[in-house]
Amino acid sequence: MMELGVPFSKIVLAAQQTIYMVSVSLAIGSVLAMIMAMTLVLTNDNGILKNKYVYTVLNTVINIIRSIPFIILMVFILPLTKEIVGTRVGTTAALVPLVVFIAPYLTRLFENSILEVDKGIVEAAQAMGASYFEIIWYFLLPEAYGSLILSVTIGTIGLIGATAMAGAIGAGGVGDLALTYGYERLNFPLMLFTVVVLILFVQIIQSFGNYFSSKVRNH
Amino acid sequence: MINFIDISKTFTMKKQQTNALDHVSLQVRAGDIFGVIGFSGAGKSTLLRMVNGLETPTGGRIEVDGQDINTLSFSELRQVRKRIGMIFQQFNLLNSKTVYDNIAIPLLLNRVGEKEIRARVSELLEFVGLSDKVNAYPNQLSGGQKQRVGIARALATNPSILLCDEATSALDPETTDSILRLLEKINRELKITILIVTHEIHVIQRICNKVAVMEHGRVIEWGSVLDVFSNPQQEITKKFVQTVIADKIPDSIVQKLNGDKRNYKILRLQFLGENVRDNVLYRINKDFDVETNILFASVNELQQTVLGIFVIQVIGESPEIERIMDYIRNQQLNWREVMI
Repeated sequence: MMELGVPFSKIVLAAQQTIYMVSVSLAIGSVLAMIMAMTLVLTNDNGILKNKYVYTVLNTVINIIRSIPFIILMVFILPLTKEIVGTRVGTTAALVPLVVFIAPYLTRLFENSILEVDKGIVEAAQAMGASYFEIIWYFLLPEAYGSLILSVTIGTIGLIGATAMAGAIGAGGVGDLALTYGYERLNFPLMLFTVVVLILFVQIIQSFGNYFSSKVRNH
Repeated sequence: MINFIDISKTFTMKKQQTNALDHVSLQVRAGDIFGVIGFSGAGKSTLLRMVNGLETPTGGRIEVDGQDINTLSFSELRQVRKRIGMIFQQFNLLNSKTVYDNIAIPLLLNRVGEKEIRARVSELLEFVGLSDKVNAYPNQLSGGQKQRVGIARALATNPSILLCDEATSALDPETTDSILRLLEKINRELKITILIVTHEIHVIQRICNKVAVMEHGRVIEWGSVLDVFSNPQQEITKKFVQTVIADKIPDSIVQKLNGDKRNYKILRLQFLGENVRDNVLYRINKDFDVETNILFASVNELQQTVLGIFVIQVIGESPEIERIMDYIRNQQLNWREVMI
């Protein structure tokens, strides 16, 4: 095996940190995003719960957060991070900005997925006497499912990119490993190694996403 | 059963008002197959959607079984909707679910047990003739089969009313006919009142007993299909009826008549069912000193009644033709003189 200049345990730890950050922020972010996306779809101009104020406020907030680059967002909300997790540094501290970053991003993706569902489906649901919750649960979600899987896939890959920057607040992870050991110590083999690992990661995630999405879609 | 009382609907778009419905009043009785016909944009779909509260009127009210739909709370409205089935032009099936799951959805919404759902779905599939497609997905079905699934889904909760929104407009003529036969069976065997919105007059001719003709948000004519078809009053109604019940003299014959220098009149006689006792055409030829020439004839069946239309040229002296017209006036038949 190639000499990487760092103990193997350090690489494993970095990978664990990345996986931890991605999975926890993805889980929390997806739930928040789903709630916001549904709110947007239901309250928009053609929605069944049309509400101009809710829609405009939520839509604007999402746009504002989406326009801040992650590295700036991260330091900008440090006080909020301290408030929530009690510290400004470390892997857990990185979860707050990651969630704040990914939730609006996923919201937009989910919103598109749900908007793809034919309006006639909603009308059929209403005609059957479905409640709003039932319309979401029995009609919108199953019909958007395949597209939602792809949205989560795209979001996950975006998150992996963001975790690399989280190294700036001492979050560790694969990206941090590449920067501090690979870049700053001019350790090219390590840099190459992390890049290859990241590429493999992304490829595998995308393939899984495509596979499950098409499995759901191709009936 | 369904009572539209002075319904109006005004949309305001960019400060411009459009009257989608303009003081519409109609009564649909229990057991009717009631057809609403009009060109697109006439407001007929908006009218249909008011029955289950998908649209609300800006004026007037709708009563379904004596209940004013628009005064109900949302949960009361949902209960009413469960007793009103609806089918659509684009079927609106869930593509992610099998035929079975599609039909089961309204039952799931009603908290019906799984065993009961299974029994009900197979019963419905048998009724619409799709028992072999229970595990198929909508994408694997033809248009007619999809509409059958839509119908089964609409019938799942035993509704008393079925709303059909251009339900056959996306289908070819043969499939349309089979779906119409199914709707007729639903009306007859399950005693379900059907309200159909369509732009296809033959749908009305084929299964409806009542018809309303709409134009620019107004009902311009309505009544039994027999009355409206045999004696259409409005221009647009005549246009619709003419496409299924022809009474136009062919152009080539009109040209010939233009060159005819003899003294004649053209009479259009319409026979409806058993109304006519006398054999009118025979009598004209036998009892009067004229020559007759049949220019056009058609026989149609409507609501199990025969509607016959004859256009005849009567050639002879004017007084004799007058006598014929007196004779016809005394017969119980619909007739008029045709000018060319």
